[in-house]
Amino acid sequence: MIELRDCHKTYIAQNGQAAVLALDGVELTIQSGEFVCLLGPSGCGKTTLLKAIAGLLRLDAGEVRINGQPVTGPGTDRAMVFQDFALLPWANVVANVAFGLELRGVAKEIREQTARELIHAVGLTGFEGHYPRQLSGGMQQRVGLARALAVNPDILLMDEPFGAVDAQTRRLLQEDLLSVLGRTPKTVVFVTHSMEEAVRLGDRVVLMSPRPGRVRDTVTVDLPRPRPSDLERHPRFADLTEYLWQQLKEMQR
Amino acid sequence: MLGRINRRIRWRSQAGLRLLSALLLALVWELLARRLDSLLLPGCVETIAALARLAASSELWQALWLSNQALVLGFLLAALVGVPLGLMMGRWRAADRYLDPYLSILLATPKAALIPIVIMATGLGLISRVLITFAFAVVVITVNARAGLRMINPSWTEMARSYTATEAQLWRKVLVPGALPAIVTGLRLGVARAISGMVSVELLLVAVGIGRMILDFQGTYNAPSLYATVLVVVFEAVLLLEASRWLERRIAPWVSQGAAR
Repeated sequence: MIELRDCHKTYIAQNGQAAVLALDGVELTIQSGEFVCLLGPSGCGKTTLLKAIAGLLRLDAGEVRINGQPVTGPGTDRAMVFQDFALLPWANVVANVAFGLELRGVAKEIREQTARELIHAVGLTGFEGHYPRQLSGGMQQRVGLARALAVNPDILLMDEPFGAVDAQTRRLLQEDLLSVLGRTPKTVVFVTHSMEEAVRLGDRVVLMSPRPGRVRDTVTVDLPRPRPSDLERHPRFADLTEYLWQQLKEMQR
Repeated sequence: MLGRINRRIRWRSQAGLRLLSALLLALVWELLARRLDSLLLPGCVETIAALARLAASSELWQALWLSNQALVLGFLLAALVGVPLGLMMGRWRAADRYLDPYLSILLATPKAALIPIVIMATGLGLISRVLITFAFAVVVITVNARAGLRMINPSWTEMARSYTATEAQLWRKVLVPGALPAIVTGLRLGVARAISGMVSVELLLVAVGIGRMILDFQGTYNAPSLYATVLVVVFEAVLLLEASRWLERRIAPWVSQGAAR
């Protein structure tokens, strides 16, 4: 269980003048095994919130607890997937996927074995020796996903992971993510600014509003699992995305 | 496979063009020399003959050996100091703030102006030549290492931190490999600076090695040999630069070929 209690974070701009209130008293509880999507326009603090859970940034006030333990830094129970993939260009696919295990001191044969299994799981068999620059964006993010899964985390933190790929690739990646999670369930916190993506993937959508960053609403996605690939035809899908759209529209005003 | 063949074809046509331009230059040189018929401008053929004579004598090789001692030692020293210094300055703002003024001074000062000072301090021996070669090369090596570290994609370090990297792991597995292309570029440019440092000091104050040969030939108006000796320096410089460029491509193949050279 992830608990966020009264989280505050202010960014000071480079010139020392303008301060941005990225998180203003955010309260959120995420159950184990839950898939939560953080949705909101740019500047609503959703990435800040994700980084706070990852332990990559210090809050000004409030705290993040995981299974009752306060988060003080990155931990082996969490793994992150990045919007720009963050692959190391000098390492091939196997080495990139094995990177997290390498940092944890896992022996070379074992970590490469694990890496190969996950490369297979994300559908990249045959590309083990390729380098990131030889792969398409969608394939690069599969590597990023495999790297996160390789350390076998309880919690998967995903920061707009499919934001940088085209629409078809995005759909494929979403389906593959769900099928991977079907086999090895995890708690997922997924940042997105696409309503459809949030509804298609999440058990719950946390809607955030910008300046100051606050939780505006929480929507439970009462759609069947496993999610069928023609989920758009489900009447609730339209209701939910329409509701989220109205909320987002109001925020822009 | 196809890429390799393409590269080879491109390399061949490039080499052909280079050879052609060199031949053209030699032709213009020879024609100009014949037309002017001056004692001060030897012809291309004459120079090559002098080069052959020099290459057969032990004088040239001894001079090269002597000069290159300073080059090798000075360059190695510059690399050993410059790379860690640049990396440190790239990583820690405090180090940068304290050291940057000195780097700027060294960057702006004509290095030749340092030669008398160094020689006054350390005498006319190998040490002064090494130190001057060092001073010529160290700035560009430091500046490039610093730039390499600064240009590292911040999401790589964030990624490594999120996967629980320690500071030592961050250095070993992200920062050094990430800065490597720029470091190697700095070393390549450093080689060029070191060569000019080596020759400058020999010409200006400590007359030994190649510099002494140049001065001797100049003093006796032996123009063909003078030109031949200068050609030797040029050859060595080009050879070293090509070697380091090759090394650069070997070490950092992920940096696109279109990047600045």
